[in-house]
Amino acid sequence: MATKPTKDVIDQKVGIQDTDNSLTGALRVKEDHPVIYPLSLPENDERQATPAVGQSATRSDARLHGLGQTQYIDDIKFPNMIYAKVLRSERAHAKIVSIDVSEAEAMPGVYATVTGKEFPTNSFGPTLQDQPVLADTVVRHFGDGVAAVAAVSEQVAQEALKKIKVVYEDLPVVLDPEEAFKDEILIHGPKSNTYASKVIKKGDVKKALAKADHVFTNRYKTQFVEHVPIEPHASIALWDGNGRVTLWSSLGRITLGREDISRTLDIPQSKVRMIGTIVGGNFGGKNEITNEPILALLSKKTGRPVKCTYTRGDEFVSSTIRHPFIMDYTTGINNDGKIVARKIRMLLDGGAYCSWTGTTIGKGSILAAGPYNIDNLQVESFAVYTNKTTTGAMRGFGAPQVCFAYESQMDEMAHALGIDPLTIRLKNTFREGSLSPTSQTLHSVVVEESLLQASEAFGWNRG
Amino acid sequence: MKRTGKGMACMWYPIGFTVMANPSAAIVKVNTDGTATLLTGTVETGQGALTVLGQIAAETLGIGTDDVHVVSADTDTTPMDTGAIASRTTYVTGNAIVRAAEVARQLLFEAAAPLLNVKPDQLEARDRKIQVLGFPSRSLPIANVALYAESTVGRPALGSASYNPPTVDMDPETGQGKPFNTYVYATQIAEVEVDDETGEVEIKKIVAVHDCGQPINPMLVEGQIEGGISMGVGYALQEEILFDDTGKQINPNLTNYIMPTALDMPEIHVELVDNYDPTGPHGAKGVGEPTAVPTAAAIMNAIFDAVGVRITTLPATAERVMAAINEKNAQSA
Repeated sequence: MATKPTKDVIDQKVGIQDTDNSLTGALRVKEDHPVIYPLSLPENDERQATPAVGQSATRSDARLHGLGQTQYIDDIKFPNMIYAKVLRSERAHAKIVSIDVSEAEAMPGVYATVTGKEFPTNSFGPTLQDQPVLADTVVRHFGDGVAAVAAVSEQVAQEALKKIKVVYEDLPVVLDPEEAFKDEILIHGPKSNTYASKVIKKGDVKKALAKADHVFTNRYKTQFVEHVPIEPHASIALWDGNGRVTLWSSLGRITLGREDISRTLDIPQSKVRMIGTIVGGNFGGKNEITNEPILALLSKKTGRPVKCTYTRGDEFVSSTIRHPFIMDYTTGINNDGKIVARKIRMLLDGGAYCSWTGTTIGKGSILAAGPYNIDNLQVESFAVYTNKTTTGAMRGFGAPQVCFAYESQMDEMAHALGIDPLTIRLKNTFREGSLSPTSQTLHSVVVEESLLQASEAFGWNRG
Repeated sequence: MKRTGKGMACMWYPIGFTVMANPSAAIVKVNTDGTATLLTGTVETGQGALTVLGQIAAETLGIGTDDVHVVSADTDTTPMDTGAIASRTTYVTGNAIVRAAEVARQLLFEAAAPLLNVKPDQLEARDRKIQVLGFPSRSLPIANVALYAESTVGRPALGSASYNPPTVDMDPETGQGKPFNTYVYATQIAEVEVDDETGEVEIKKIVAVHDCGQPINPMLVEGQIEGGISMGVGYALQEEILFDDTGKQINPNLTNYIMPTALDMPEIHVELVDNYDPTGPHGAKGVGEPTAVPTAAAIMNAIFDAVGVRITTLPATAERVMAAINEKNAQSA
């Protein structure tokens, strides 16, 4: 295959030999550096080899990333394209009395505005459709959008947001999940704040805890974190003369995205084309629509392609973040290190809307006891609304939270009983054919192998 | 004084959605020169999924990774896919691709069988050839067979299929059921250095041993594991969104929301457990999410080993670790 070229050869072929930082150089457009095929760039033999599986083949997109030829949303431009910005709530919980966009619309450079009432179906969500595209009656956290503007530039759109007048009537705010659990302040109308729960029961926990040699009770808590993809949420909408809308989006699931666009805008799925561009990081944060219906409607109103790229601030405040868990673990263990019973109660801060909480509480609960054979188990989990940023899908869906709890307590018990952390785990881990907490027969189980192999590689027993 | 400690954490993690159907579909077309095109509705989100999916199609067709062009993520042209979520792409979309490629391959076998004087089920696709099982010298280049199938027999080699992992609903009272079709397992071990006068934690090394079934592309698996660990390091020591008492975020920016940079990353040693899941595409399971699961737990256990304090609220910032050390010292004084 191709031999490894020198740096000079690469520079020459890619046209980056000129490194001067003069004004002329800095102002030069990308077209000054044409990529002329073929390039003498290294290619690994694994891409050609058969069988294909097991080969460390270089990525088919890597070269285009390296050459700057990958088109992220930010790189895509269309003639007459305009830019949108979304106005966020100024309250964590309030009724919207009125929204006045007239001054913003009158601003030079502004093409259109949109508010929540203009969407045929102003709700979405992967499980419960409890989230408005733009809030029209109530805001439930500071990240709720209340209106959007499309203008000739991002700067003009941003300025126009300041001219929108929203009158709020404050509602009581609940931020603490344990307070929210009491249902004294309700966030979604007459319904309880507890909007998801999960129970897993096996054996007789009460009896087994009473008989265990030792019982350990601990509480573990985790925090809110953001996915922080390098590329923030971004999309472009173009509503054409056939009434068909095309969306270029950073969404990680276009099939569901198209359904949501069709539903919120009340147009057939055949009139929606969704193109998933190459995404600069997802980690769970791009698994539901955000501003796509807003841009579609703004494009319909203006007849122009409309782009919106979240700022880093939008990304934190209005996209989903990871669920904090409050986890109470009570575990019965015998002197020999065998776990005989485990009782777990978990409370998830579900934020203002459901998003992917159903999956998070499900996976979190199923995985909560750890990869261990425990005959007597009880897991009870609840997720509550609070007036904070919506929590949703994030790498691990509750698993990093519960792993922190079950593995911390494992070491607490090992320390108290004077057993080595590796030994206590090997005493309890799943084996091939073990029954999971839901009594599923497990196959392809290698937790013991992973423990032994990691201990060997680390030198665990070398003091 | 800087004190060192070690801590381990193991984990299990499922592949695909919890009970709920999460199908993927795929279309595989073999060109008349023996290369192929794969159509998938999933999205490349930076993890290298399209390369892996192309490798899966190539394996079934007996051709190389570079021979397969992958078209993705356009609702006008690609089949439905539940998407880049739940560590499901390799397993679920991959299983759909294997099935679609098998349909296309069967058409090649049927075209080649009379030419090689055998039955279609006596053939295999390997090394860019259609060959008789056990008699590799009796073979035809896949390009010739594909051209013959399309231009002479009139049955072009293309296939479509879908896959959905079989599950059993969970009982609402007891949670008993089969929520997933398969799980992966892993262990990570961390070595840390804790300054007992400042509470600062430095991660020196992480050993990560993961199961993903048969790795389709070991280099990309390693990349996923290293990325997951960096996320786990931030979760363990630095990252936290804070709110004021009105419910407004205090630190929605990268100046005050602290994330690990390259300088915060420890030495990482990655190994894979030798495994093969017969329910997966060519034995593969998945690797995306689980890489970030045990990191924080292993680091917390290493902090305890180093300075004898148990951090029960994440993240273990220097302030929090110092407060725990002070509390421990006060108790023992």
